[in-house]
Amino acid sequence: MSTKTNNDIFSTIALAGLMHVEDPEIGLNVVDLGLIYELQFLEEEKKIVCNMTLTTQFCPMGESIVDNVTQSLQASFPEDAIEVNLIFEPAWSYDLISEEGREFLGR
Amino acid sequence: MTVKYIYSSLSKTMFPTTFNTGAIKTTSYKVVIPFYIYAAVSFFAATILLFTSSESFSVHFFNPHILAITHTMALGWATMIIFGASYQLVPVVAEGKLYSNKLAYISFGLAAVGIPLLVYGFFIFNMHAPAKWGGRFVLFAALFHVINIITSIAKGKSNNIHAKFVLAAALWLFVTVFLGLVLVYNFTISLLPHGYNYMDYLPLHGQMGIVGWFLLLVIGVGSRLIPMFLISKYTNTRLLWAIFILINTALITYIISFYTATQTRLNFIPITLIFTGVLLFIYYCFQSYKKRLRKQVDVQVKISLLSVLLLLIPIIILTALIAVLLSNSSVNIHLTLTYGFVVFFGWLTAIILGMTFKTLPFIVWNKVYHHRASLGKTPSPKELFNANIFKVMTVCYLVGFVLFAVGILQSSTLFLKMGAAFLIITAVSYNLNVLKVVYHKPKSK
Repeated sequence: MSTKTNNDIFSTIALAGLMHVEDPEIGLNVVDLGLIYELQFLEEEKKIVCNMTLTTQFCPMGESIVDNVTQSLQASFPEDAIEVNLIFEPAWSYDLISEEGREFLGR
Repeated sequence: MTVKYIYSSLSKTMFPTTFNTGAIKTTSYKVVIPFYIYAAVSFFAATILLFTSSESFSVHFFNPHILAITHTMALGWATMIIFGASYQLVPVVAEGKLYSNKLAYISFGLAAVGIPLLVYGFFIFNMHAPAKWGGRFVLFAALFHVINIITSIAKGKSNNIHAKFVLAAALWLFVTVFLGLVLVYNFTISLLPHGYNYMDYLPLHGQMGIVGWFLLLVIGVGSRLIPMFLISKYTNTRLLWAIFILINTALITYIISFYTATQTRLNFIPITLIFTGVLLFIYYCFQSYKKRLRKQVDVQVKISLLSVLLLLIPIIILTALIAVLLSNSSVNIHLTLTYGFVVFFGWLTAIILGMTFKTLPFIVWNKVYHHRASLGKTPSPKELFNANIFKVMTVCYLVGFVLFAVGILQSSTLFLKMGAAFLIITAVSYNLNVLKVVYHKPKSK
């Protein structure tokens, strides 16, 4: 599946930053891990909404990952407000890991 | 680049209208770290006692120094680290937050004072004030732990099988510690039912602790963590339920057989049930390993998997012990000592050595890098401890474990001393790495 958001340029910038946010236990970034469900760029409100998940709702590193996603988006878009929502429906599954992520894990 | 993504257009139908905006908060490192440090120091103390008292392993298992070493390992090392890890893992296992940090602190304080008193009482074999006060403190530490765990699970969102294991283990711990205190009191006041003495109740106290507390807890938590660390697709709740029922039935059968005249023969029933449960757990771990996405398995997880296999050794020894008891009506002292050594210095120590460096670095990483990770490349949690010291620890542990076990079976002082020396190096390496992790200062790459 390819990325589809409101604005391809903005999403490319956002994803480039998020590729540096890793799940510290797995060592894989949150994008390839399939944690980022949706990015909305609300131009009028000057706001970015990120709907994301965790591998489990009770992930011990959850708070840290969410904070880092927020900081990464804020660093990429310093003028905008950032809203990160954690959602658990649909639940994360191994099928959401990208091909690159699978290659990384299979090394 | 191709990214596995859920299209925003799907969100209208798939996403809930109200968002759950927070993951469950993890337990504060301030609650957890004291338990890890206490356990590390206890492990070191136990290996020193092992070295200085190694001659005790050539005589009867019921002697002051063996009792002191066993309780340093069971309470100071294994139970303290399990208390700490339980408080950290409650959100993962019970899917809710820890009920009370205060109860956890009280539990730590009581156990921290009680364990050395109890061990000192055993070491000098004074069952009056030191042992009694130590036992009381430990009993209340266990009580507060049980209350904290039960309430956390009750308030949690999911009552899954892992939580059931943790809950049952906590209850068995309380029963074990209660019986232990009764046994301490029995030296000065006769409390046991007519016809029974201290030596009759000792195996009951030991097996409830080893199987009820340690085994149930390790299986409950391990069955959650091992697939998580391996990134494995394997889950099998029915199998875990079967293991849960087998082990609890084994313990209840053991208690019933304890009060029957033909208890030795009946003991094969609980052992068979436990053996089946352990084999099923090994199968569960093997399937998790086989169906893992992460091909590179780190050393910490490898040691933890090794500890699962090490579980078979005490069961085989226990079976041999009962067979010997049935054939000549006497307890084989060397086998009994080897059984205890393999449980505490083998299986439990292996899993703790592995899992400490899988859990503690994350606790500290969360504390140090929580707000820093996106500001620059940070060390990964596994870089918080020294890999070379970890290797020294692992090699010395394996050598020390084998040498000491051979020393017990052969009654060889040389092997016992050499084995204990290697285990001291293991404990020193372990302590160095624990301190390195705990006192880690933030740095960017």
